[in-house]
Amino acid sequence: MTEVLGDFIRALRAADIRVSTSESIDAGNVVDLVGLGEREILRHALSQVLAKSEDEKQAFRETFDRFFAFDQFKAKPENAAAEREESEPGSGESQNGSGGMPGPGGGGTEGQPSGGAPAPEDLIAMLESGDQAALQMALAEAARQAQLNRIRLFTQRGMYTRRMMEIMGLDGLNDEIERRERADPAGAQRLADARDALREQVRDYVEKQLEIFTANAGRQLREEVLSQVRLGNIDRSDMKIMRTLVAKMAKRLVALHSRRKKVEKRGQLDMRRTIRANVEFDGLFFHTVWKQQKIDRPKVMAICDVSGSVAQVARFLLMFLYSLQEVLPRVRSFAFSGQLGETTELFERERKIDEALTKVLRDFGGGSTDYGQAFVDFERLALDDIDHRTTVLILGDARSNYGNPRGDILKKIHARARRVIWLNPEPKSLWNSGDSEMKRLAPYCDTAKTCASLKDLERVISELLRHAA
Amino acid sequence: MNKGNPALNEKDAPSAISAIQQGFERSGYICNSQIATSIFLAERLQKPLLVEGPPGVGKTELAKATAELLGKPLIRLQCYEGLDEAKALYEWKYGKQLLYTQVLKEKLGDLMQGAKGLKESITRLHEFDDTFFNEEFLEPRPLLKALWQPGGAVLLIDELDKSDDEFEAFLLELLSDYQISIPELGTIKARTTPIVFLTSNNTREIGDALKRRCLHLYIPFPDTALEQRIISARVPEVEERLRNQLVAFVQGLRGLDLKKLPAVSETIDWARTLVLLHARELDAELVRSTLNVLLKFQDDIENVDSEINALTTKALQAAQ
Repeated sequence: MTEVLGDFIRALRAADIRVSTSESIDAGNVVDLVGLGEREILRHALSQVLAKSEDEKQAFRETFDRFFAFDQFKAKPENAAAEREESEPGSGESQNGSGGMPGPGGGGTEGQPSGGAPAPEDLIAMLESGDQAALQMALAEAARQAQLNRIRLFTQRGMYTRRMMEIMGLDGLNDEIERRERADPAGAQRLADARDALREQVRDYVEKQLEIFTANAGRQLREEVLSQVRLGNIDRSDMKIMRTLVAKMAKRLVALHSRRKKVEKRGQLDMRRTIRANVEFDGLFFHTVWKQQKIDRPKVMAICDVSGSVAQVARFLLMFLYSLQEVLPRVRSFAFSGQLGETTELFERERKIDEALTKVLRDFGGGSTDYGQAFVDFERLALDDIDHRTTVLILGDARSNYGNPRGDILKKIHARARRVIWLNPEPKSLWNSGDSEMKRLAPYCDTAKTCASLKDLERVISELLRHAA
Repeated sequence: MNKGNPALNEKDAPSAISAIQQGFERSGYICNSQIATSIFLAERLQKPLLVEGPPGVGKTELAKATAELLGKPLIRLQCYEGLDEAKALYEWKYGKQLLYTQVLKEKLGDLMQGAKGLKESITRLHEFDDTFFNEEFLEPRPLLKALWQPGGAVLLIDELDKSDDEFEAFLLELLSDYQISIPELGTIKARTTPIVFLTSNNTREIGDALKRRCLHLYIPFPDTALEQRIISARVPEVEERLRNQLVAFVQGLRGLDLKKLPAVSETIDWARTLVLLHARELDAELVRSTLNVLLKFQDDIENVDSEINALTTKALQAAQ
């Protein structure tokens, strides 16, 4: 059972459920405790030690059902029965056939240390009698010996099928079929059919196992790659995965930063609260209460360039902006290419991220970039609301088509805001080349960073949340 | 360990679990086998049980029912922001200590009589070292109380998600080893291992370290059959027909996109309301006038208003 449980836990891990070693031990205890008699109880019990969030419970249920599915052999009981009846008249003959040569075959297998696999004549007997339960067991045993749980790639299916067939005694079976061909062509044919059916079953079994152990491996790899690849190079077909990735990232950030933190300023006594805390001791100061500083979540104003030069990246930046608005309660977002407009309300109203993005791109996208105009508009719309708690986040490549980028307005913004952060999707080597105005704008930013992939984004935002005060 | 409690003396798991389920039913807590399984595991494996789920599905109620079933006292600790050791674990009785200092001051002369030199006086004083920091002066708070309870207790740490990260970390020692450390006294072990429930409303993620030490139970909204049984156990006055209708309506309501979905506790309240109003059957007008029992946000009530007729009709059909 421990082995099965180990396999099951590996299958769970493949399905994105995190299982620690101590939890595996717990699972072992649980199995000992509740036994294997009742499937439902076992499922509930295991889910409580192994899957520890709502999403994981869902994934657990699916994996459990797939892993402990024993339906493949029960599928054709009528067939098996029919076959048995059919083979009845000729059974005497075939039994003679197999009974005639137990010597070499039997001796050979008994001598083997592994011993678990059935001898060829057992396999033949199983196939002839249609004993599905025995076949199932032989199959599971063969899978164990062939180490099927190590299967990783779908190209290995053939190899594992072959190996399992061999362990189950394919060679002996083939010999037997050949031998019978002369004496009893019909019986041989029947056996050959049964062999082919068995091969199908083994193949099915292998494919199911492959699915269990590697269902998510491809996706995990893809997500890993996508989170590191440059935003501009991401294919449109990967948009869906990107969306879930961005959502995941936002969720992770919420979990990390969802509570307001406090920092104790040791050294400054909070007199009021100290007196209150020590009333019961007659005013003697047993407890000292220090002044605390609350770390507020930041007020963020995000400006996003959605013009042609960053068209590839704009979607992701917006996607990110949308998610950011869900994470932080006080985010105002703006988008521009030629002119700048506020998108806060649109993002809040539009529940579906896709539609929100399309609308923003339709309303603001496509024009030629004009940072100067954008800053003028921003000054008009929001400069008055910027105070010492506000972080201004600018997402764009600073390519202003040789127009005046109005660094003076950014200077004003910089003077009022707590921080100005510029995230540029271009690598640093391209900054200041051509019509890029980073040289003139960067001095008014507290940080100017390259932000090309999701990983970069996450790092920057985590930083933003941690040091917000 | 559980002498005199038949529910937990069953040897094999399935019968123990159904015994728990029946025991709960007798005390009016209706649950499915999943919940009963978790109680069985928590009791046998002696692991704390972290219960999550939307508000109002009976997380706290489960701890109460368990305490009643096991015949153990329920010790409850409500979490909130700023909860600290002094309120959760123990506190020194400073007032009493002060008083003793005064007494000691007077007695000090007698004690020191005959002591030669400072060294000997100090040695003598050291003999009384532990006078002020022993269990006599310790004021146990819920967690310590639960560990000290002679026959074991059911400890409920309610709404853990409201507490601070530090408090969560502080719980780890208690949850994995059922012991706590008091600097002045050393490590205190549980006299009898308590059964620990932790509940969370998911306002924030509970840390992995804590989750790893606990069994995890997620209680979702109940399905129609279960909710009907809950209502008939909790509000027996309500007629079967009305009960089926109102459960069907609430189930329909949960399919909508609302800020706060009505939970079991709201269904129970609503059933009581309808009984008070002597309602025999659901109709749109009745629903409209009592909807504020089910929905707690004005936005939600306004959003649902247009759907009431359709939902009521559907509920009436479903309850046929």
